Amino acid sequence: MRAHRLARLAPGLAALVAGLLVLGPALGPGFVLRYDMVFVPEPPVTWSTGGFPRAVPSDLVVALLAHVLPAPAVQKLILVGIFVLAGCGAAALVPGNRVIPRLAAAVFYAWNAYLAQRLLLGQWALLLGFAGLPWAVRAAARGGPWRLALALIPAAVGGFQAMLVSALAVLPVAATGSSRRFRAPLEALAVLAVLSLPWAVPASLSHAVTDPAGVDAFAARADGPFGTLGSLLSLGGIWNAQADVPGQAAWVLAGARLLVAVTAILAFVRLPRTADDAGVPYGKGLLIAASAGLAIALAGAYAPGVLKGMIGLWPGFGPLRDGQLYIAPLVLVQAVGFGMLAGRFSRPDAAGRRAAVFVPAVVGVLLPVLVLPTLAWGASGRLAAVEYPDDWRRVQEIVNGDPRPGALISLPWGAHRAFPWNGGRVILDPATKLFARRVIWDDTLLVGLAGGRLLRVPGEDLLGRRIGVAIGAGGGPLTSILRAAGIRYVLIAGRDDNVFPSRLPGAIPAFVGAEVLLLRL
Amino acid sequence: MVRVLAALVVGVVLAIGASVGVVNVVAPSPEPPNKPLYNYGNR
Repeated sequence: MRAHRLARLAPGLAALVAGLLVLGPALGPGFVLRYDMVFVPEPPVTWSTGGFPRAVPSDLVVALLAHVLPAPAVQKLILVGIFVLAGCGAAALVPGNRVIPRLAAAVFYAWNAYLAQRLLLGQWALLLGFAGLPWAVRAAARGGPWRLALALIPAAVGGFQAMLVSALAVLPVAATGSSRRFRAPLEALAVLAVLSLPWAVPASLSHAVTDPAGVDAFAARADGPFGTLGSLLSLGGIWNAQADVPGQAAWVLAGARLLVAVTAILAFVRLPRTADDAGVPYGKGLLIAASAGLAIALAGAYAPGVLKGMIGLWPGFGPLRDGQLYIAPLVLVQAVGFGMLAGRFSRPDAAGRRAAVFVPAVVGVLLPVLVLPTLAWGASGRLAAVEYPDDWRRVQEIVNGDPRPGALISLPWGAHRAFPWNGGRVILDPATKLFARRVIWDDTLLVGLAGGRLLRVPGEDLLGRRIGVAIGAGGGPLTSILRAAGIRYVLIAGRDDNVFPSRLPGAIPAFVGAEVLLLRL
Repeated sequence: MVRVLAALVVGVVLAIGASVGVVNVVAPSPEPPNKPLYNYGNR
């Protein structure tokens, strides 16, 4: 009985160990800050405050949880939880009751290039959807709106990217895995629509715009020796070179990952795919989803004009520009296929030798780690926890303690920061998360291209664009312009890097620190 | 027995590859220039 229970817990424990190994230094005191992953102390409970609601409702949920637990603990729980949820979910999709296939699938789904690269890009909200994806697929295959709604909660918390990736997998699984051919996908669509309301409504009200140029910036690319297609099949291919796992492009390891990927896909394809055969009712739908996801990712790389045309027709196609994120169903296909392969190679032999099971099982379970070893220990130091300097806490107290309305503008006029206290890691401006009022910032995205060229993807927030034009128009005074735009505070990070205060005659310093300057208009 | 041997070979080869990969990554490299980096990233 005890052995049986241990066997049931094994995938979850393996995924937990994988998570602890990957996060490593990120589990120390303080916050992990990297690219889109910006957690702040005492986050305010606010809804979307302008621009496209990228962090809705994820930031709100974090803020609510931070009322119960310290914010750094909330972040660590979410990050560790992603690994455990992901691993358990992949294991639950593996047909049969044998431990080794489930264990191998769990480790694969918790230790792969997709999860690693999205983690290094700080997209924890998307990873919530990735972690919940196996559960959503399982629920869609079984049918029932309430079961599906429960399974989609992580994705619903994650927001628009997580829900889009989930929809990509859930709809074909619901359409192909149930005898209720017409009712099941309609039910799934309704559940997806309802759970998408928290971000879909503010998105439709935000008047956000999407520049088709974003396709060139965010299309999948080769991150190893096997081109874009090879990278995507190996579950990498993210647009940002800084999100690569260190050393992932080495020939031996990249080749091994591609080989594992292809054999895992073949193993999945050979699975029986109907409920009548062997209880894998999600197989056909998941294969459709994986193929569609791969096609979206390849479209950005090989047919960018098509995507640009679609985005030009309707900005709602904008999320397709980062096509690599839609290969999440392919990760799941490979994880289940890999689990089945590990099970096949570790089955007992005719002589009943324990080594025939043990040796292939150990190698199989460890294989995902061996082909991407530098993901360990915070991706070899790329992830680490740091404390915010006191200056940031002080300006947060001042601004959030002020009952008078008015927005805050964050300077320097750029979306990303690289603070020395954060080890020079690039992060989204933390001012966007710190304050319980509208924060106006430059959401223009700058992406470096080959040859040192810089691609500028215009921001989506129209008010931000207007303010940006005013700031960029010469060096004249801005106080009256900003006041007219409803701005009460100007926050300037890195005081030595700009001369902006001279353009704000009449502004009153509300806080002057080594890290930040806060001016009240 | 073939499966065991194959698993051992694969395991050893990948363990060596993984070790080399880790050593290459953690080996000291020149310090990157200390300059403000405001890009979202580079392709």
